[in-house]
Amino acid sequence: MKEMLIILFSAILVDNFVLSRFLGICPFLGVSKNLKTAMGMSFAVLAVMVMASAITWPVFNLLLAPNGLSYLQTVIFILVIASLVQIIETVLKKAIPSLYQSLGIYLPLITTNCAILGAAILNIDNEYTFLQSIANSLGAGLGFMLALFIFAGVRSKVDHADVPKFMKGLPITLVSAALVSISFFGFKGLIEKLFG
Amino acid sequence: MIINRIVLDSLPQYRQVLQAIVLSNEVSSVWLPVAVGSGIALVLGLIILLTAKFFAVPVDDKLEKIKGILPGANCGACGFTGCEGYARSLAEGDSDTAKCPVGGVATAQELSSFLGLAAPDFTPKVAYMYCNGTTEHTSKRFEYSGTKSCAAAHSLFSGPNSCSYGCLGFGDCLEVCNFDAIYYEKGIIRINADNCTACGLCVKACPKNLISIIPKHKNTYAVQCRNKWPGAQTRKNCSVGCIGCRKCFKACEYGAITMDGPLAVIDHEKCTHCGACISECPTGAIHNGLPSFAGSWPSTGKPEEAVSS
Repeated sequence: MKEMLIILFSAILVDNFVLSRFLGICPFLGVSKNLKTAMGMSFAVLAVMVMASAITWPVFNLLLAPNGLSYLQTVIFILVIASLVQIIETVLKKAIPSLYQSLGIYLPLITTNCAILGAAILNIDNEYTFLQSIANSLGAGLGFMLALFIFAGVRSKVDHADVPKFMKGLPITLVSAALVSISFFGFKGLIEKLFG
Repeated sequence: MIINRIVLDSLPQYRQVLQAIVLSNEVSSVWLPVAVGSGIALVLGLIILLTAKFFAVPVDDKLEKIKGILPGANCGACGFTGCEGYARSLAEGDSDTAKCPVGGVATAQELSSFLGLAAPDFTPKVAYMYCNGTTEHTSKRFEYSGTKSCAAAHSLFSGPNSCSYGCLGFGDCLEVCNFDAIYYEKGIIRINADNCTACGLCVKACPKNLISIIPKHKNTYAVQCRNKWPGAQTRKNCSVGCIGCRKCFKACEYGAITMDGPLAVIDHEKCTHCGACISECPTGAIHNGLPSFAGSWPSTGKPEEAVSS
């Protein structure tokens, strides 16, 4: 249990997917303009990330690894994740239309999102057990949400700031993203202190 | 076999690799990943097919058709979040087809005939700006060098204009207008009634609350002022402001003019467009007609000079 908590919290804070591993930068910059879109996107990422890990772990450990096909993991994972998202979308549309409406365009956007694929591959690379993989991807999703929420706040502040003309738009966004990222380095060592 | 030989001879560096694949006993090592890959793809494809079949949602083509009739401006003037929202409400049995000011009469009629309803009572509307404080009529209290936005200027001592109720002319309304209906003229903005669809976005954008949606009438009479100062202070700060002299109030036989403190307000529903008020106004604050292009707007507001389009 303690190990699970360590994995969960290091994925959220220390090894934050967006701010420390630099995965999923595209949606991070794309939808962090306001809190509403950030929320839709991060919930979609969280859900798909956990489900993708739950599917890719058995696919790898029961199908690919025993047959010596580990090198196929990237191709197969993308295939599995893309199909998974498609299936989730179809089911949601029928079963929970309101949720489908709010996740809306974000679901298809994350079919080949590198954060999702990254979570699936990192689970394998770190030789996590099934439950540890779930904890890791849950933490990664929550970390993504945290990063997106913080950055949406920062961005709405930056929007009202008097930015020099050459820094307007993407440059100032990237600079502020870097500053937020640096602030997350403050969490290094936190996990050892908490659980060690 | 000859072709095979040629390939093998012409590519000596790959000979070993090719031989390993074609000739060795390890042929199965090629087929296993192919089988696994296509197997997974086949299974996933089947699952997608099955879910698509079992979870199919019947598409409401009525909704799609209504969306096609609506202009797709997504301005929100109907009170819904966008055309999609209004279309859904109509598809679910809303019978008010006159809510879209952008599409106007034509859209309302088309919607009614599509939904099998009686033709709606559609009054065209237009956005009207209640300020004529151009640079000729007003002055500046201070030099403003901040962000070029009405909202920002308004938050700094109500802006640089001598009249703190007047148009600031930075064009927050122009920014939000989707229909190219707002133009600058002599330091203020004006609304081109020909292009205006009365979507109401500019009404929300104006920090001075100077724009209202009124019934569209080519002979609209309006007191083009919204200041609440006493007459003397108005006179000092703007030469075309309403000074609250009550002359028009007394001249109106139809009770269309009311006094909101020191400001005369014309009720556009009650106004009969007789023009009795306009000649009474000592400052020329009352105007006739709607502006449609730069220079089309009378500056004096006297009836003989008014544009009657």
